[in-house]
Amino acid sequence: MKDDLNIVGKRVVRSDSLAKVTGEARYTADLTFPGMLVAKVLRSPYPHAKIVGIDVSKALKVPGVKAAISGFDSYGVKWGVFRYTQDHAMLHTDKVRYIGEDVAAVAAVDEETAMEALARIKVDYEPLPAVYDPMESMKDGAPQIHDQYKNNINIHIHIDVGEVDRVMEKAYLVREDTFKAAGEAYAMMEPYAVVACFKSGYLDLYMPNAGPHVRAKALSNMLRLPLNRVRIRHINSGGAFGGRSEVAPGDLVASLLTMKSGKPVKLVLSREENATSSRQVHDMIATVKTGMKKDGTILAKDFRVIYDGGAYSSTGPIATSIPFYVYEECYRFPNVRYNGYRVFTNKGIRGMYGCHGRAFLAGNEAQMDMMAKELGLDPVDVRLKNGLKPGEMTATRSKITSCGLKETIVTASEKTNFRKRWAKPSRLKGVGMGCVAIMCGFPMGFRSGSSCYVKINDDGQVTLVTGLVDNGQGNESMVVQVASEVLGVPMRDINLVNADTEVTNLDPGAYSQAAAFVGANAVRVACEDARGKIVAIAAEKLKVKVKDIGLKDGAAYSLKNPDKKMPISWVVREAFFRGEPITGTGSFFPNIDFEREWVTRPWGQMAGTFSFGTSVAEVNIDGETGKIAMPRFTSAHDCGRAINPMAVEGQMEGSIQQAGVAAITEGNLWDKGYLLNPNLLEYKVPLACDMPDMDTIIVSSRDPAGPFGAKEGGLTVRMNAYSAVACAVANATGELFSELPLTPDRVMKMLERKKGVK
Amino acid sequence: MILPQFEYKRARSVADAVALYKKEKGKALYLAGGTDLIPLVKLRLREPKAVIDLKGIEDLKIIATRGGSLSVGANATLFDLKKDPVIAAHFPALVESLDATACETLQMRGTLGGNILQGARCLEYNQSLEWRKARGFCFKMGGKECNVVKGAKVCFANYCSDNAPSLISLGAQVRLMGPGGERTVKLESLFTGDARAPFAMEGGEVLTHILVPLKKTKGAYEKLRVRESMDYPLVGAAVSVIDGKVRICVGGVGAAPRLYVLGDIRDAASVRDVAEKASADAKPVANATLSPAYRKKMVGTLIKRALKRALAEGKG
Repeated sequence: MKDDLNIVGKRVVRSDSLAKVTGEARYTADLTFPGMLVAKVLRSPYPHAKIVGIDVSKALKVPGVKAAISGFDSYGVKWGVFRYTQDHAMLHTDKVRYIGEDVAAVAAVDEETAMEALARIKVDYEPLPAVYDPMESMKDGAPQIHDQYKNNINIHIHIDVGEVDRVMEKAYLVREDTFKAAGEAYAMMEPYAVVACFKSGYLDLYMPNAGPHVRAKALSNMLRLPLNRVRIRHINSGGAFGGRSEVAPGDLVASLLTMKSGKPVKLVLSREENATSSRQVHDMIATVKTGMKKDGTILAKDFRVIYDGGAYSSTGPIATSIPFYVYEECYRFPNVRYNGYRVFTNKGIRGMYGCHGRAFLAGNEAQMDMMAKELGLDPVDVRLKNGLKPGEMTATRSKITSCGLKETIVTASEKTNFRKRWAKPSRLKGVGMGCVAIMCGFPMGFRSGSSCYVKINDDGQVTLVTGLVDNGQGNESMVVQVASEVLGVPMRDINLVNADTEVTNLDPGAYSQAAAFVGANAVRVACEDARGKIVAIAAEKLKVKVKDIGLKDGAAYSLKNPDKKMPISWVVREAFFRGEPITGTGSFFPNIDFEREWVTRPWGQMAGTFSFGTSVAEVNIDGETGKIAMPRFTSAHDCGRAINPMAVEGQMEGSIQQAGVAAITEGNLWDKGYLLNPNLLEYKVPLACDMPDMDTIIVSSRDPAGPFGAKEGGLTVRMNAYSAVACAVANATGELFSELPLTPDRVMKMLERKKGVK
Repeated sequence: MILPQFEYKRARSVADAVALYKKEKGKALYLAGGTDLIPLVKLRLREPKAVIDLKGIEDLKIIATRGGSLSVGANATLFDLKKDPVIAAHFPALVESLDATACETLQMRGTLGGNILQGARCLEYNQSLEWRKARGFCFKMGGKECNVVKGAKVCFANYCSDNAPSLISLGAQVRLMGPGGERTVKLESLFTGDARAPFAMEGGEVLTHILVPLKKTKGAYEKLRVRESMDYPLVGAAVSVIDGKVRICVGGVGAAPRLYVLGDIRDAASVRDVAEKASADAKPVANATLSPAYRKKMVGTLIKRALKRALAEGKG
């Protein structure tokens, strides 16, 4: 791979930054259309109840109300990512299954009228016994939440590689521990909002989403409209973190209301509704059994993980699998068994999360350190010994291509003087290390690939068309930067038209870490296609060889004799004369084993490539209060080549907050089916003053298939930062955590437990 | 969440405010900084017919020394007070509690009077109307029993002012004016001990001034919280040392701050005793984000810490 790049790899200001910092960028709630109505949703006050009847007639009589709907106005088509998980109609007519579930809705001229109308909707419920704890829910005789899932087990993922039991028996050291973690709130800065406009049989929708094409498909199924009549439009998004990958109940609500009223409809959820009634993160209980050789080699792992799945399937099989995979993509497990159960409870709908799996991952890593300590080994050595290397296969047969795991471990430990500090921690101070690997994309059938169309306009400026979506992480700027590099046109001269389902083609979306590896690759291929056409004409006109043409700053020039040059716009005009305008198309489809299935065939190539990362947390614990202070946090991330190092570092810093510091502050609190902290006061997102000094280190590994060698940029930190914190607390206290977040009361218990032992 | 409809009235003087209150037949609420009131109204925990804005009353903004006291108008903002040189020179416990309140942007908006008169808080109470309707109204909302402690006919909501404990530790008084005239009472006697209606105030009474004896004190405020900013105290402990006497006040647990007075600061055993007694007196329940047993324990720990800092050489 040549290194003389002009734009890629440079610390450029993101193309979206100016509009966002000046407030010019528009989000869904900012949109207005002539005659637009305000929607409000009536929600279930019961965790579990039979719906006897819904009467919206009185709501319709309130002056100013233009439409009122319930599930009886829909086709009742049930959504599910897979055929076997289709159980969520979004507006149900038979039962409600959680407090806050959408039951009916109105559209009115203003919010007050809508609220008054909601109060007039009459719903007759017959309350049913409910269950909130997945362990209770799995028992015989527990209230059945869906008829088709016995013992409320939504998904069981069973993976068994090698001979776990036999090898475990022979291992030098075996340890089994159970770890719990409260589910988190996505707490996106922008609460969910949707604007829907139905006109002449065509439905236009705007909402923050992490995959417009998959969203359009779900809605086209639910509304029984052809795909080209459901158009998801481009709009800025105030965060997703995995919570906006699937169709949302509000999408259906707003669609039905605009179709009924014939007017544009806007629905904006309150902060509370965003917490109770959009997606949440799974609570989790992970039991981890590990067998180790005397030298620290992991011989066998046996996992049993219970996921509190809430009321519906959501991304069920994926959510039940991902924590395991990001771990087996990092370490060598010759014998491994995983039993993951996703269990229904009468709690809100749950989805994938960028930091998904903290009980499992932090538990594994902290346990590994305790075992290392018992064996007199250094945890850095144990990680290096068990870490996968380039060319190796994972336990479930994914081949690892580029792999900078070792470099991230070595760099992070050297930067923090880890070995020395870990071996001799001073009183109540500790360091901890977490490692993980991330698949860049995962199997999504024919939606796993991306494609791009590029045209060069007669002024030499560029229009780029792609299905790629940006939820704030910088994907848009990233592909503009890639196009700029290939075409030799400055970033400011490239206009991006993206994430608009009637204009753009399929793309995997921004929730499987595929945007850089897949989406940007498609853009690169399309731009190379166009570049070939530009170069051919320029070579002819400049009378030099094709190989001698370079493109830079909007001009084509001779590499040997740079004075020989011409603007790209001249080339474009010449191409128009020839009746062959300069356009390019390109696509990228990752090398994935499509026979792979999450439940029935959990093996084969998972993704085109994997990123790797290591985080090191440093903690000081207040022995009297149990409060954790985090003076410093170091993360090293192998993202292949960083397309924009500044953007990658930003993602890493955000991840340190959302996974690392959150490991001591964030967790949903429940009183049965009532979410006690559906707000940003009692749900403790870390603030600027809570942040440690951060050291973000990019380890470049040049992936052979990634665009300019790039892989995903930052997610490893989201999935290893809590591990680093849990390990640091173990190092400081000599105790293993039992539950996350590590709030001061829980840390105090660990300290007391330790004292009791002494 | 949008605000419900209410009438907005602006008072030019305290007498004017009281007159407006009478005119609204008691269905009005006083507004100062609004940082406590507006969220309560949005959640429909308070549904006033009218809101009487006190912000324009100049006399309520003063910070002045009068007859051996520092007289603080109830509308002085927490931020201005934090930066006040007289307060900085005399009342370290108050400086620390002001600094520990919410965040600086809210300190610039929130007033001392409003901070004292904030409502008692509970995870099951400070929720939207829809949330509370689904849950069933608790004792504080007029329901039959507490939603946190099953069967209890008591409200366990926590009074979460950071500054009331430090003011009580400093021996502060408050001046009130209402339909019945003017009165001045010790701050600690402003509390009923019932978290459903925490303040012993007549309808229409306005808290006008806070009077703090102007003496050099030593002191400290310790606050238990999860985040370093934007968190109400899960326990708060203020300590002031005035003329060799130690006044300790605990907040954040239960309906009212609790005051403990120590005669002799050199007696280590009495320090331990008061910490233990305060911890035993505190009856936290599972209505805040940390466990009740832990919060109970922290009452003693925070008192000891605050005392240690307050008595440290060179302080105050």
